[in-house]
Amino acid sequence: MKDHDTLEHRLTEQGISRRAFLKFCAAMASLMALPPGSATAVAAALAQAKRPSVIWLSFQECTGCTESLTRSHSPTLESLIFDMISLDYHHTLQAASGFAAEKSRDDAMKAYYGKYLLLVDGSIPTKDGGVYSTIAGRSNLDLLQEAAKGAAAIVAVGTCAAFGGIPMAKPNPTGAMAVSDLIKDKPIINISGCPPIPVVITGVLAHYLTFGELPALDELGRPKAFYGETIHDRCYRRPFYDQGKFAKTFDDEGARNGWCLYELGCKGPTTHNACATTKWNGGTGFPIEAGHGCIGCSEPNFWDAGSFYTPLPAPTAEVTTVAGIAAVAGAGAAVALSALDRAKKKHMQQTHEKLTVKDLHD
Amino acid sequence: MSKLQRGINSFIEQIDGPIATFFTSCVHCGLCADACLFYTETQDPKYTPIHKLLPLRRIWQQEYTFWGKLMFRLGLSKPVTDAELAAWEPLVYDSCTLCGRCSLACPVGNDIVYMVRKMREGMVASGHAPEGLKGATQRAIGLGSPMGVNLNTVMTHIRNTEKETGLSVPLDKEGADYMMVLSSAEIAEYSEVFSAVTRIFHQAGVSWTMASDGFEGTNSGIQIGSSDLAAELLWRIVRAAERLKVKYVISPECGHAYTALRWEGPNLIGRPYNFQVIHITELLDQLRSEGRLRTEGLDETRMTFHDPCQMVRRGGVVEQPRNLLHMVAPNFVEMPDSGIQNWCCGGGGGVSANERAEPLRLKVFSRKKAQLDAIGVDTIVTACSNCRSMLLDGLEHNNMSVNVVGLTELIAEHLAPAAK
Repeated sequence: MKDHDTLEHRLTEQGISRRAFLKFCAAMASLMALPPGSATAVAAALAQAKRPSVIWLSFQECTGCTESLTRSHSPTLESLIFDMISLDYHHTLQAASGFAAEKSRDDAMKAYYGKYLLLVDGSIPTKDGGVYSTIAGRSNLDLLQEAAKGAAAIVAVGTCAAFGGIPMAKPNPTGAMAVSDLIKDKPIINISGCPPIPVVITGVLAHYLTFGELPALDELGRPKAFYGETIHDRCYRRPFYDQGKFAKTFDDEGARNGWCLYELGCKGPTTHNACATTKWNGGTGFPIEAGHGCIGCSEPNFWDAGSFYTPLPAPTAEVTTVAGIAAVAGAGAAVALSALDRAKKKHMQQTHEKLTVKDLHD
Repeated sequence: MSKLQRGINSFIEQIDGPIATFFTSCVHCGLCADACLFYTETQDPKYTPIHKLLPLRRIWQQEYTFWGKLMFRLGLSKPVTDAELAAWEPLVYDSCTLCGRCSLACPVGNDIVYMVRKMREGMVASGHAPEGLKGATQRAIGLGSPMGVNLNTVMTHIRNTEKETGLSVPLDKEGADYMMVLSSAEIAEYSEVFSAVTRIFHQAGVSWTMASDGFEGTNSGIQIGSSDLAAELLWRIVRAAERLKVKYVISPECGHAYTALRWEGPNLIGRPYNFQVIHITELLDQLRSEGRLRTEGLDETRMTFHDPCQMVRRGGVVEQPRNLLHMVAPNFVEMPDSGIQNWCCGGGGGVSANERAEPLRLKVFSRKKAQLDAIGVDTIVTACSNCRSMLLDGLEHNNMSVNVVGLTELIAEHLAPAAK
């Protein structure tokens, strides 16, 4: 790892202009919903950022998360940013193998103890002593606990690392668990999705390099900037939902007209992710644009939540009645309270003592 | 009832739908700070406009919101005290000219200046108004003018004007179309306005009059924030205008006289007027467009126009003074932020009547100085005699040699000679 290399210097070497770099910073600032002025702060911090050491551990996973990150947009500035961290260990991407690879991880953990970022993809098998997935003869659980000790923070990349994912699906034969189920004493950020959106990963890293801390997280530990809204909130088919126009099968007129896929099981309304805004494959589209409903891959337990083609439950009549009564009661209370407020104001008007010039003396 | 209780009752009385909406909508973004020259020139966060309303906001919470009432009952929200209001007095009076620039800046549309105006009602009722402003208001109510001018002063000016121009100045003429009202600063310091309007109206054939019982437009009641006193002052003009059966009352070159007459007036007296109100600048531009106002000769000096806050932000009178200036000033230039976004001179809203505020208003004049430095002019024209006095003070304080003239006088100086 070259400590003296700043990001800006490396980018110039690789033929990335400062203008392109600033555009990236502005895009990152707006993606993360930071104030407009912070684009320059992002640029200044990133330009001077020393490459932090990153250790990437892959456990029970399919490598889809890595594929998403490295192939979908490659080569773009985002992947170059990724070059700019010092990726000291990554199964799939590293050239070294065997003993040399493991040594590289050990060395990084010692040299940057307390400072390195630990990225994890895949869930961790815990049943039967964790024998279901081992690397260099050691269990995933063992490797995670060792690497977590010296990590500044842990980023759980993908739904498996964040929430257990497919390996944890019933009957969960390996006793798979999420990173946050096992590590309790480190800041953990969950970048869920199967796989997660590449810019979300780079966005979180850019935030960390800029501010030295992780971004604001939701109750599931996901960055709010990307997981703050549902797919449904931002879906381009939302107007059809509002108009009650639904596709009933995948080949009816509604489907051909691009109507809402709610009745075909779309999980957009309950799924928090940025697909509808950032899109996939270099901004080409996202599943709903291809005519298939959202399967909710960035939510916990999406694999056990019933068929992908079963519509989300709609409120029953009883709920409507209760809500109606509550609304009437609430409105009644509001009317009563505002009548009290109005009476108070009126009383003050009636008891108003006219101010005279005499009152200005003394 | 103690003064404090009287003030708090007044706050409770003043809080209305708009204020509740504004406090509820405020997102605490602080954008109003950069709109206020008292903040930009001092960088002191206590001058953030919305902060000046903190006691009012707390009373709104304690009296009108569920959680506020609950917290107040449980002792978690402290009652507003005399000491607190005393501490807020300089914020509400010395560092706010009611210029309204903050209201334009607010991203959620809160009319902050509306709330400051309302807050002053409670401040003055609780006895927390600046001495200078109290004195001005006492003189306005007792003597007829905050600067102590009276009918004798006006009569002297009228006689001098008649001698100088050879024209008669109509006084108490029943059935005239227009009734001219003046500001006390004009009567006391800029009396050339008498001959200016006399000559202009003569040339244009305007049927006008002045009223012996309603010549003073300045409304200290608005500035100190008492609707009761403001109404008392306003009634003098309303009674005179309705006695003389005029169709229009002309607001003078005075920002708060215009606001009192044109915008607050009917609400203060509780009924519509039987006449209309027009600013002298609006009337002159109307005469110009009708071809009744003709000028001759040009003033080649480099000139700019200082937009009085009440005229541009409350009245939207932006084009009219420029139309008039273009008649006589070929080297007219706009200063930065002119028009709706113009910066206050620093003396409006009663600040210039408040001696305690003098060091502060001279300090924040640096904003006006920067605007002027950017364009380098010889003459600054304005249409508010209060701005005019403040500009003179500020320019002198900064050793700047720039002339200050009133728009009406500038036009009168260039009246076509046939009509002189």
